[in-house]
Amino acid sequence: MRMRFSQLLISFAITLAFLVGLEIVTATILPALGWNEYRLTFNVLIILFLAIRMDSPIVPWLILGLQMLHSIFSIEGWALGTLAGLIVMMSANYLKEVLHLTTAFMTMLTVQLFQIVWFMTVTIVICLKISDFDKFGMILWSFIPGSILLSLISPVLFWLLGLIWRVPSESGPRGVEI
Amino acid sequence: MKLINESSKTKIVNNIIVGMLAIYGISQKRFDLSESTLFHQLVTEVISPMQEGLASSKKSLSSLWENYLVIVNTSKENTVLKKQISRLESDITTMEEVRKENLRLKRLLNYSDEMSHERVMAQVVGWDSANEFKVIRLNKGKNHGVKVMAPVITDHGLVGYVYRVTDNYADVLTILDQNNRVDVIVERSRTHGIVEGVINFKCALKYIMRNEPVEVGDKLITAGVGGIYPKGVKVGMITNIDKENFGMTLSIEVVPSVDFDKLEEVLVLIPVDTASTTNVVIPATAPANVEAKK
Repeated sequence: MRMRFSQLLISFAITLAFLVGLEIVTATILPALGWNEYRLTFNVLIILFLAIRMDSPIVPWLILGLQMLHSIFSIEGWALGTLAGLIVMMSANYLKEVLHLTTAFMTMLTVQLFQIVWFMTVTIVICLKISDFDKFGMILWSFIPGSILLSLISPVLFWLLGLIWRVPSESGPRGVEI
Repeated sequence: MKLINESSKTKIVNNIIVGMLAIYGISQKRFDLSESTLFHQLVTEVISPMQEGLASSKKSLSSLWENYLVIVNTSKENTVLKKQISRLESDITTMEEVRKENLRLKRLLNYSDEMSHERVMAQVVGWDSANEFKVIRLNKGKNHGVKVMAPVITDHGLVGYVYRVTDNYADVLTILDQNNRVDVIVERSRTHGIVEGVINFKCALKYIMRNEPVEVGDKLITAGVGGIYPKGVKVGMITNIDKENFGMTLSIEVVPSVDFDKLEEVLVLIPVDTASTTNVVIPATAPANVEAKK
């Protein structure tokens, strides 16, 4: 299935607005309600959707755009997540024959596995930047509770993003060409 | 077949370009200080009012609940008393510091000018949305006099310093963040160390040699070294000392004086005759302090 460029822009704009809403939930609403210890990194989930379910040369630029917006809400910046997103996307490309997100459980499992790849990448780069690999385990561990929650809600979020990007749920993991 | 090849080529080229951009971005990234880009300034100014509105709504709702629906007068009285107690505690710490300082200065027949600050009160409107960074966003920025590297405190103690600032908002790198290193002294024994953020809203006191006289319950205050934090601000309390490791230094856990879970308002301290934001002092890093201790 192919997508027109105008439709792509609309879908991307909706995704950006969706990300802003989710980032505000994470950065303001949840901490205000007392949820302060762990963050739900929704940008990771949206980028995982693009990386796993989209088959297009433009996906790296979409990842970059989403990370630019994410950098407004985090001092992490855009570059770290962009690199992690690219690595996840390339991994998904190599594994596309075995990735079948046909059930909610498979979606959760796949998302959890790719989140581990993502957070390993981010943690390694942060440890390299701060020249302190003693913190590797500590940083990686801080991701785990939030990532499990994200995996649990990933089927719902992937369904919503599927509607935004018009990816038919029965079309398998590599749904849309642009 | 040709179409597939063309598509693959485009994919590879896009991956390489974006990958190179990302690597360049990472190489330029600093986690202890940042200048706001035009993009960041514009988007922050558009989005953050929503955060501010939500943060204010929450505060209004919880105030309504606490103050009017549950225990009207007791709650208010309790809040006032708690504030008075913490202010008095803070005053006692400050007075004690002044007394000790005076003694030392008398002995040296010298004196130093205390750094004077302007104070800007700000409300916390959000937290960093990434797990690994402990940063808060305040609803005051350049327009209110806030500057990069300005220390941020509450009446309970040290919060952190301003990491980046836009016209109306500022991001503060808290002492819970692993990139923020605070030069501290143990109030009782005057031992120097570095406080660094770790996970679970706790900190670690580093570079304390095994033979140093530190105990559980010791209070930590800022050492005033490094040009960011004024001297004598409460930082936290030692809650655990691990002597089982085999290193030269102790592994010490610190609980911050500030309850970051309930952080709502803070004070940004701006030195009166401060230098411009382009001429900021880089925070004291751990290796430099270790060097100094040697």
